[in-house]
Amino acid sequence: MEIKIEQLRKNFGEKVAVDIDGYTIHSGDMLGLVGNNGAGKTTLFRLMLDLLQADNGNVHIGENNVSENEDWKAHTGAFIDDGFLIDYLTPEEYFHFVGKMYGMKKEEVDERVAQFERFMNGEVIGHKKLIRDYSAGNKQKIGIISAMLHQPQVLILDEPFNFLDPSSQSIIKHLLKEYNQQTGATILVSSHNLNHTVDVCPRIALMEHGHIIRDIDNQDGSAEKELEDYFNVNVME
Amino acid sequence: MNLYKIIKQNQKLAEKRNPAFDTNRFAKFLMYFMIVYWAALFLFMGVMLPFMFEGLVPNMEPYHIMNQGILYVMLADFLIRFIGQPSVSQEIKPYLLMPVKRNKLISLLLLKSGLDSYNFLWFFVYVPFAFLTIIRFYGFGGMFLYLIGIWLVFVFNNYWYLLCKLLLGEKTLWLLLPVAVFGVLGVAEFLLDGLPISRFTMNLGEGFIEGNPLSFLFILACIGMMFFINLKLQQKMIYNEISKKEDTKIKRVSEYKFLDKYGEVGEYLRLELKLIARNKTVKTQFRMGFIVMMAFSFLVAFTDVYDGTGMIRFICLYNYAILPIMTLGQVMSFEGNYIDGLMSRKESIFNLLRAKYYLTTCIIVIPFLFMLFPVSKEKMTLLMAVAYLVFVMGFVFFMLLQLAVYNTRTLPLNANLMKGNKSSSTAQSILMGCTFGLPLIVDSMLSAFLPEEVVHIILIIIGMGFMATHNLWIKNIYQRFMKRRYKNMEEFRATR
Repeated sequence: MEIKIEQLRKNFGEKVAVDIDGYTIHSGDMLGLVGNNGAGKTTLFRLMLDLLQADNGNVHIGENNVSENEDWKAHTGAFIDDGFLIDYLTPEEYFHFVGKMYGMKKEEVDERVAQFERFMNGEVIGHKKLIRDYSAGNKQKIGIISAMLHQPQVLILDEPFNFLDPSSQSIIKHLLKEYNQQTGATILVSSHNLNHTVDVCPRIALMEHGHIIRDIDNQDGSAEKELEDYFNVNVME
Repeated sequence: MNLYKIIKQNQKLAEKRNPAFDTNRFAKFLMYFMIVYWAALFLFMGVMLPFMFEGLVPNMEPYHIMNQGILYVMLADFLIRFIGQPSVSQEIKPYLLMPVKRNKLISLLLLKSGLDSYNFLWFFVYVPFAFLTIIRFYGFGGMFLYLIGIWLVFVFNNYWYLLCKLLLGEKTLWLLLPVAVFGVLGVAEFLLDGLPISRFTMNLGEGFIEGNPLSFLFILACIGMMFFINLKLQQKMIYNEISKKEDTKIKRVSEYKFLDKYGEVGEYLRLELKLIARNKTVKTQFRMGFIVMMAFSFLVAFTDVYDGTGMIRFICLYNYAILPIMTLGQVMSFEGNYIDGLMSRKESIFNLLRAKYYLTTCIIVIPFLFMLFPVSKEKMTLLMAVAYLVFVMGFVFFMLLQLAVYNTRTLPLNANLMKGNKSSSTAQSILMGCTFGLPLIVDSMLSAFLPEEVVHIILIIIGMGFMATHNLWIKNIYQRFMKRRYKNMEEFRATR
């Protein structure tokens, strides 16, 4: 499913948070969004998910303008932060709750969750613990799984590698790639971790002060050098 | 003392920059207005009480009578503190990792609490009172000493409140401590000869006026003891406040399987039940509401306290409405914690509101069952009990759920807080006012012109109308919420 950004602007006071004239993420793309702190990555995701009001412009997911109707929600999955989790539920209850919202039966949910067995590493399911009592890493896993539960055509994950241990980082990279190939879903991932982003995303957008300043083709994994140069230059300055 | 200043300054900033308050001029105005109103009322009391006491008990000095009743003032002060005074452990968290000894930190916070301007609140009564009654016998010196003594009494009360608040945060059962203490004092006062408690407080007050060192030593010793108990308990319990317990497993995972057949709304009903059962703040709020509701029910059912048409009407209405007012009055405030998750799913708020409506509707069947006792005793008619039930289920819930559009302050789910969602917008204040007042106004107006049965039938028709159309008006609330969603989400995030 295609995502189209047109004349999108968002300011916080004097500060420009997002300013994008036009940008299209094609159906089936797997886009990595990179940039320093405050570059506007999370704000852009929030605008895409209609969690924030744009000062100008719009975002279309498929045919739908996200601020005008809610139809796009049925085939979009997202996890940005803890504000997505209902932390007084157990992970199982939360998955069943989310599943129900998308019309899934309990059995279907259980079957789907089982596919993440390696990712969960025995630390998520069957512990009779409320989400609020899990570690940051496990909360992150719960959030990611819940976003992928209903096999969305658009998947948006903000900093999915944060808090995860190295094995889980590796597994989630593999899972995302596989999911993209199998379903043809459009996937957007933001990250500070250049290596992971380069590993997993054939296309990378570099953000700075709310603008997408570079749109890098990474089909052959060549973006790493360009990105390292950019970020090293920033350090040198 | 430097640290003391820093803490005080930070707290001032916290109050000043509180997002729920900062952005709202109406809330600010309302707060200042209430302060001026109460100050004026207290001043008026302070001026009028000497004349009243002189008239009622001419053979005693007014300050003796005032001092006899100080326990009642302490009880009122104790209860008022629960409305807004935070506990020390709530304030300590940001400083815990700083290179300051924990004991010193807790002592400073306790000291700050003792020196808080709130402990001077009752001076609005006591200063004019002392001016009119004490100066003529003991001069300004006597008045000054008396006021110091009274201030110390309220400092003691402050520490007594902090102790109870701390224990209550641990377990609701600790509610029995203040109940027992005030109960024992009450029993001693009224069952023993010569009203010993009020006699004691009268002598204590006189000791203050006369500058008797024993009186001051006594109250200072009480303060010292209460300070010490607080200090020790705070040290012991601080970990419970700031960290998680080791064993975080829940014993039983409730499924509420019977809700499966109600689809998405059933799922939200399940969520509501878990929200109430698993979160300290929500549970406490619900429990308090339930206790008040049951107290109303028992009063109506088993006592003659509320006989008389007007009072029965009032009690009957609020018996149904009190719990919904306490819970639905804060609709969406707890959901603010996970609003992003809810908003990323289609129409979830619509179904959530429906679930809240159905759950509260079911709950108020309980007070209805209690109403059957006064009905059987012919204190009220069955028609009246049904009429108010249906009216609350329809009209009052319609009013309360409107708050879903205007409540924008996230309330913590699981903190040791007993703070309410302070009305923070004009719309909220008006809606709450209407919810409290309108039903009685409608009822009184109708009753003035029509026979009681007709009024009750009209109430049933109004209630049924709102019940039958609940899907329509909840949809309307949902649509209005969606129009304001960006503003609401922003404020929910800011107050998380």
